[in-house]
Amino acid sequence: MSTNTAQTSRKPTVPPRSEGADLELKGITKRFAEFIAVKDLDLTVPSGTFFALLGPSGCGKSTTLRMIAGLDAPSEGEILIGGKNVTSLPSHQREVNTVFQSYALFPHMTVLENVAFGLKRKKDKKAMEKAREGLKMVELDHLANRRPEQLSGGQQQRVALARALVNRPQVLLLDEPLGALDMKLRRQMQFELKAIQTEVGLTFIHVTHDQEEAMTMADVVAVMNEGRIEQMGAPRDLYELPKTAFVANFLGKSNLMRAHVVGQQEGLIEAQAAGCKVLVPVERAVQHEGDIVIGVRPEKLHLHREAPQESTGYNELSGQVIDVSFTGTTTEYLIEVPGIGRIGTFSQNRGQQPAQMGDTVYLSWDSAHSFGLAGDEVVDAGVDQT
Amino acid sequence: MSKMVMTKKGKIADLRSAEEIKAERRKGRTGVYLVVPGMLVLFLFFALPVIVLLSMSLYARPEGAEIGEFVPALEFGNYVTVLSAYWSELVRSFGFALIATVLALLIGYPMAYLVAVRLRQHGLLQGILLVLLIAPFFSSFILRTQAWKQILADEGWVAQTLKLIAVLPADGHLTATPFAVVAGLTYNFLPFMVLPIYANLGRLDTRLLEASGDLYASPMTSFFKVTLPLSAPGVFAGTLLTFIPAAGDYVNAALLGNNRNTTMIGQVIDSRFFKVIDYPGAAALSFILMLSILILVTLYIRRFGTKELM
Repeated sequence: MSTNTAQTSRKPTVPPRSEGADLELKGITKRFAEFIAVKDLDLTVPSGTFFALLGPSGCGKSTTLRMIAGLDAPSEGEILIGGKNVTSLPSHQREVNTVFQSYALFPHMTVLENVAFGLKRKKDKKAMEKAREGLKMVELDHLANRRPEQLSGGQQQRVALARALVNRPQVLLLDEPLGALDMKLRRQMQFELKAIQTEVGLTFIHVTHDQEEAMTMADVVAVMNEGRIEQMGAPRDLYELPKTAFVANFLGKSNLMRAHVVGQQEGLIEAQAAGCKVLVPVERAVQHEGDIVIGVRPEKLHLHREAPQESTGYNELSGQVIDVSFTGTTTEYLIEVPGIGRIGTFSQNRGQQPAQMGDTVYLSWDSAHSFGLAGDEVVDAGVDQT
Repeated sequence: MSKMVMTKKGKIADLRSAEEIKAERRKGRTGVYLVVPGMLVLFLFFALPVIVLLSMSLYARPEGAEIGEFVPALEFGNYVTVLSAYWSELVRSFGFALIATVLALLIGYPMAYLVAVRLRQHGLLQGILLVLLIAPFFSSFILRTQAWKQILADEGWVAQTLKLIAVLPADGHLTATPFAVVAGLTYNFLPFMVLPIYANLGRLDTRLLEASGDLYASPMTSFFKVTLPLSAPGVFAGTLLTFIPAAGDYVNAALLGNNRNTTMIGQVIDSRFFKVIDYPGAAALSFILMLSILILVTLYIRRFGTKELM
């Protein structure tokens, strides 16, 4: 098992003042009776990173978070925060705070008392003062004396965030904190959360099943499936070069086709898929011979009414349009390619309509956009999972 | 369902037909009809007896009348007489009831917490303990109190053990002491303390305890800062349900007490009514007891009460 180390391919943006600490998980396994929620997980999150754990429900991401918080004990393995082994420390002795999915605000306390709770437990003499500052940061200082039940969902969410943040923990954990909010508020809170993280420079671990949320907010995304991390990296790297079918399908959409490698030249693997020649760069393929799976993202495809002129380095397929759906900014097409299956693509709505139901169309894409997966992948793994 | 609309002139018009309005009024009247039987029962068996008791408490005993012979009057002196004669029993009753309530709370809260919170994931065990908690109700109150006499008897293991470790002097007794009466009261009213607290703690959101632990509160602090304040309505209901009947109880004092320092006001009322045949005195004492409880409970509610009960 290789150690996943979070490294962004972008320039390493050093946070202005990093107060967070490195988080390290070593060989973490969590068993519940017969069910294994997390399997031998190794993970290092450098301090000051906005890290997203992304995966469908039941993939073990929330369990991982609870183990970091100290609410569940791992069956095996060690948890280190800032280099210190905290595996056996109870939650109240860990410099970690959580924003819970349910918010878990104390209903018998005012908003201000809620935010001051952690500071008071640490005997902070300026607890109230800091709590007020915390409320100001989430722009709720005018509601300090209200009860949580008198607040809207979005406001409660911000109180929960302030309550965790004011303690300036080494690691801040967010368990699907935006799950209960409506779309518009969600977008706004995503933006605010990211801004706050940049401002305070703490290490954020954000658990979510929303791939768009993970990609917009996080510096590093780890895609989890069945208790393991499938792939980890900067959102763009993960999207552009998925290493497994699950990542290809769960993070955005992908067209995956089975192919057989017939040769290799000039850094390109040549494969046959149902009689068509498909090229994929060697460095973008997980496997280089035998049966493989070749993938391409829908937006990388060009749609033609007539057979395009053959150009080097381009892959071409043809098929029949079996579904057209108008989504506003784009029109989505589903094309049945004989022997390969259904390929999805879309075109921007700029006045033209390139194809209609039943039309025979041609698809082409720059082979540099192809990616190659192992031949034993399940092609629809992770499709429509949340 | 109302069908109000704004007309062009800005007036609110009622678009309901005459039949609909009638139907709505009938619905309103149905509610009144449903309340009548309950009101009737309350009047016959509560309001009327209270009025009878009140008038009885003011009856006078004419010179040379036979035992049990009284005439209607407005003899307020009855209250002064019984209060001056039995104020110590009244105070003792409230003292015993208070101690029993505190003990029941100290014993009952952990029981309720165990069953409602700790055993939440263990349905079977929770069910068994809950049945055990309610089981005493299936046997007679008097019988259970008698059983305490056996438990606390000089030959019983409780008294023997206490003598062995020299907590109780060799010639000491447990029965016929204030200790036995308070123990009996505590035992008999314990379920009334446990059940409301259990019902309340059953709704406790344990995620709040996780949040509190996450915010540096030790389990002990979490209990005092989160669990206990949130269960206050249950504690409040439990203390009232224990204190009120315990203050008026006379079975425990009669069976487990003595004639010197355990007499409770309930016993006095009982003997005034049935032994001495002093109806006005007994009625006056009943009223004093009722009023004192009312005043104490009102003060208690004012001080600790939750909005739900007010």
